[in-house]
Amino acid sequence: MSAAVSMSKPTEHPPPAQQRPVRPRTWWKAAAVLVVVAAVTVWSAIAVEVDFGALFRNAGNASRTIGQLLQPDYSYFPETVRPLLETLETAVISTAVAAVLSLPISFLASRATDPSTPLLVAVRFVMNVIRSIPDLLYASLFVTAVATGALSGILALVLFNIGILVKLVSEALDGLDRGGQEAALAAGSGWIKADRSAMLPEISPIYISQTIYVLELNIRASTVIGLVGAGGLGMLIDKVRTFYQYHYLSLVILEILVLVVVLEFVSSYARRKLVR
Amino acid sequence: MTAIPAPVGRPAKPVRWARLLAALIVLLVVLAAFWHVDIEWSDLWAAPKKLWRVLRLMFGPPDWSQLPQALSATMLSVAMAWFGTLIGIVVSFPLSLFATRGLTPGPVRWPIRGVFAVLRAVPEVVIAVLMLSVTGLTAFTGALAIAIGSIGTLGKWGYETFEAVDRGPLEATGAAGASRMQVMRWGVWPSARPDVFAFWLYRFEISVRASAILGLIGAGGIGKMLVDNIQFRVWDVVGVLMIVVVVVTMIIDQISGTIRNRIIAGRWQLPIVTAVSRRRAARRLREHAAAAAEKGIL
Repeated sequence: MSAAVSMSKPTEHPPPAQQRPVRPRTWWKAAAVLVVVAAVTVWSAIAVEVDFGALFRNAGNASRTIGQLLQPDYSYFPETVRPLLETLETAVISTAVAAVLSLPISFLASRATDPSTPLLVAVRFVMNVIRSIPDLLYASLFVTAVATGALSGILALVLFNIGILVKLVSEALDGLDRGGQEAALAAGSGWIKADRSAMLPEISPIYISQTIYVLELNIRASTVIGLVGAGGLGMLIDKVRTFYQYHYLSLVILEILVLVVVLEFVSSYARRKLVR
Repeated sequence: MTAIPAPVGRPAKPVRWARLLAALIVLLVVLAAFWHVDIEWSDLWAAPKKLWRVLRLMFGPPDWSQLPQALSATMLSVAMAWFGTLIGIVVSFPLSLFATRGLTPGPVRWPIRGVFAVLRAVPEVVIAVLMLSVTGLTAFTGALAIAIGSIGTLGKWGYETFEAVDRGPLEATGAAGASRMQVMRWGVWPSARPDVFAFWLYRFEISVRASAILGLIGAGGIGKMLVDNIQFRVWDVVGVLMIVVVVVTMIIDQISGTIRNRIIAGRWQLPIVTAVSRRRAARRLREHAAAAAEKGIL
């Protein structure tokens, strides 16, 4: 409307108050949000004892460290090969185990494939609990309770992966077209058969793509779970940092970087191919 | 087509060699990993018994007298996450503007994107390990590590969001003679705003998890309390701490998810309800998950 008016008389300014609808007043809401955010921020700043001055006081220390970090010692490479392999193996094994375990659980955790509400709620609750515990915490628990080394890392990652995979796959199941399943049910099959013959083929590309994504997560995670003693590159990081061997540390970090970037590249390529 | 007589039985399934080969390679890699990895498999058989014992010690019953301490440690972790995320937002926001296609030339854009990519590839814990050498083992160090870690993700999500906005308002502001900053303010920001606020909150959720992890290497908060008690095998306290971690993480996720939902969908709705109810929610969550893939924490 106002556009038409102003088009016809381009030189005159139409009185805006009558042309536009009155803007809803929301400034007090914005102000309230701002106050809350500011309050939380002040509280958090006090809690963590913010001290930007420390950064400058320690600048000398930092520059020495950074200087060492910028010169990775490549002669250390042979020593890192075993932990590197262990990291990769941990990631691969835990992805494989978690992928196998989480497929049936995903079907139990989706409204679309699980007709029983109590079972659905129970499975989802357990999955929520599993997901809210960080991977490093699982790792440190297993290291103390079971054994140090790769086994604890694998157990920790398997739990962590099941949480993620079940969430992603069951949500994908929720969004699927249920025509085939309905047809199967109407033709007299049970839920298990209907899900297997109608839903499984539909979900499999997503399932595979999410599994590759989880492998990517695992590579990242398995490089650090060693910090609490669960094998792989993380253990090496812990070792060289306690001896302040920053030349070595930077080599290890460089390896992690390369590993993660290469894997990200491969994984995004594979996932693109899958989805297409 | 209807004239062709119906074939007897099903047509043979075509064999997809490429797929078969890929499956075979994957299988071989997995088997090789199982074969080569240095594990005492007997430990695995002993594991359930050991775990059951520890679980009984942890939860039968947990030592509730430590609850107040656990809660205050958790608050410190949450404060770390909040403050770190905030610094991350403050730093990454202008950077992501400079990394947006159409606003800045390539030579400005690519180096910034490279920095984001590198920051995303380094796990927070490693950043923290590096920071420890400079500022020591404090909660502030943890917050800074979270800040640096979140710059990578926030930056990337930022420029992706800015590039994905509808071109219409952008062209309109440009045609009306706006400068680059004005185009940003009036053409891009209004449509990008809800998504930006939503992923800020989402990043905070990730940071809460990360802050617990940072505690594990000594940066204070609930993680430190956990690792101390695990090391000295005070299992009944560990039980309380686990419960606190789970409950607090879930509560924060619910609050943050509810607010995100309000920002994006425009109405108040509990995320649990939405997730159970419908397709659109599932799709949106998947998108967020894909975004989370960038950082590797969910």
